[in-house]
Amino acid sequence: MPPQKIVARFENVHKSYAGVRALNGITFDLRQGEVFGFIGPNGAGKTTTMKVLVGLLTDFTGALTVNGLAMPGHRDSLYPMVGYMPQGIAFQEWRTVDHALTTFGRLSGMSAAALRERIPRVLEEVGLAEARARKVIHLSGGMVQKLGLAQALLHEPAILVLDEPVAGLDPVSRMQVKAILSSLRNRGATVIFSSHILSDVQDVADRVGIIGSGTMLTVGTLAELKSRFSVNDDIEIVLSWDAGNWTDLRSAPGVLSLDRDAGGVLLLHVSPGADVDATAHEVLSRLINSGNRVRSFHPAVPSLDQLYLKYIGEGVHP
Amino acid sequence: MSMGLLYGDELSGFSRSRVMLVLWVGMPVLALLLHALQPSLEGAMSLTVFSMLVVTTMASTIAAAMLSVGIIHEKTRGVYSLFLVRPVKRRSLLLAKFFAVFSCVAVAAIFTLGVGVLYDFARGVVPGAAVLRELAKSAATGFANIAIASSAAILIGVLAPSVVVGVILVIYGANQISVLGYVPVLLNLEPAWVFALAIGCFVSILLLTLAVAVFNRRQL
Repeated sequence: MPPQKIVARFENVHKSYAGVRALNGITFDLRQGEVFGFIGPNGAGKTTTMKVLVGLLTDFTGALTVNGLAMPGHRDSLYPMVGYMPQGIAFQEWRTVDHALTTFGRLSGMSAAALRERIPRVLEEVGLAEARARKVIHLSGGMVQKLGLAQALLHEPAILVLDEPVAGLDPVSRMQVKAILSSLRNRGATVIFSSHILSDVQDVADRVGIIGSGTMLTVGTLAELKSRFSVNDDIEIVLSWDAGNWTDLRSAPGVLSLDRDAGGVLLLHVSPGADVDATAHEVLSRLINSGNRVRSFHPAVPSLDQLYLKYIGEGVHP
Repeated sequence: MSMGLLYGDELSGFSRSRVMLVLWVGMPVLALLLHALQPSLEGAMSLTVFSMLVVTTMASTIAAAMLSVGIIHEKTRGVYSLFLVRPVKRRSLLLAKFFAVFSCVAVAAIFTLGVGVLYDFARGVVPGAAVLRELAKSAATGFANIAIASSAAILIGVLAPSVVVGVILVIYGANQISVLGYVPVLLNLEPAWVFALAIGCFVSILLLTLAVAVFNRRQL
């Protein structure tokens, strides 16, 4: 697979607000045609990073290049390239949906003719076609979110910067947004989006960046993050019949520890350096010989939630 | 391009707002009512002149309150970021609002005056040359007041952290500073209407420049 073109690169970017450091030397890049999931706790610097990227914050130190152009010096070239949906998006309430999109489209340089053709399509795409004539003040929170997405997509930018685009949306709307993100990737657009709903990030992101205290803790595909994080080999065991005498598995050679979660799933931690295959074989034999019935037996794969908790909650940095 | 587009948008928004509806209809009605309820005014002051009085006292306060509340509301809700990620100058956002509100209030004021003139005319009171001169002077002073109060409101809108603070500052700040338009009348400077307009322009430009400078430094 050929290396993807880098469309935006942060290099050691620092940004402070009234003496409070929001970004502390953040370094990462965005590649063409990828969906980049940006996660981290509140106040970690996600929104600041996005505002720097879209040119709303210009008094930062370090280097930011977008399509090879240094920012904020070439901000005028940035406008047509970027679509932005801020967190907690708001519109002037006296505008109708159509009026808001017309204004933003015109300000983005679109002609009246292009807007006549584009606005119905983008409203259809975000599921807001029926609200076209409605005033913003009469829209629900979720509809305002969709309008926010629509204005970001309107001028078909190459880079989409979406700050919590699924916050406050119902499950169907969330799926709709995720489908839009996937279709943007298929069109070759680059998307960076933040979210606290990690399952959504896991569903659509090609790469994930975890930020904490203004520093990018780690960046990579989900598989890369898991491989970096994986210190021990773990085995997940589900029993269809629990004979109750599996505690002696703890004494099996190569077993470090054994946990059982609330759902009855056994998680067996293999000692570092132990032969995983031999340990697995021994454990499985003991389980069956003890009268248990095994429904599944497989290597445990940490979810993004688990990785996130490890990076943020426990401060683990690989 | 963006300035014209924003001005048109703001004009459309303000002109259809409830506050403007109150101005369009409320000011002429209020002038008529107050004039009718004050028997001592009959004969002493025509409705034309009385309308001008109502306009100069009410319109500048309403314009200032509308502007500052609107800006604070939009600023705190993050409305402007959607404009600023497009090729829109920050000053265009403020100036479009200023000109839109000034236009709306000025038209409302002219309409109120027109109602006063028609009412007097219907009652057989034809304003003489001296009254018309006074009216022109009052109108110039009134427009200067509206411009000064509006520009002060823009500055307050940019600076104030909340709507409550903004409204207090408008009442005790913008409203007071707008009386600068009366200075030529008080000092008997002639022609007073020219001085009033000059002061109105100068103070408004000064306040708007300050507002733009502050807004340019604000992180949104």
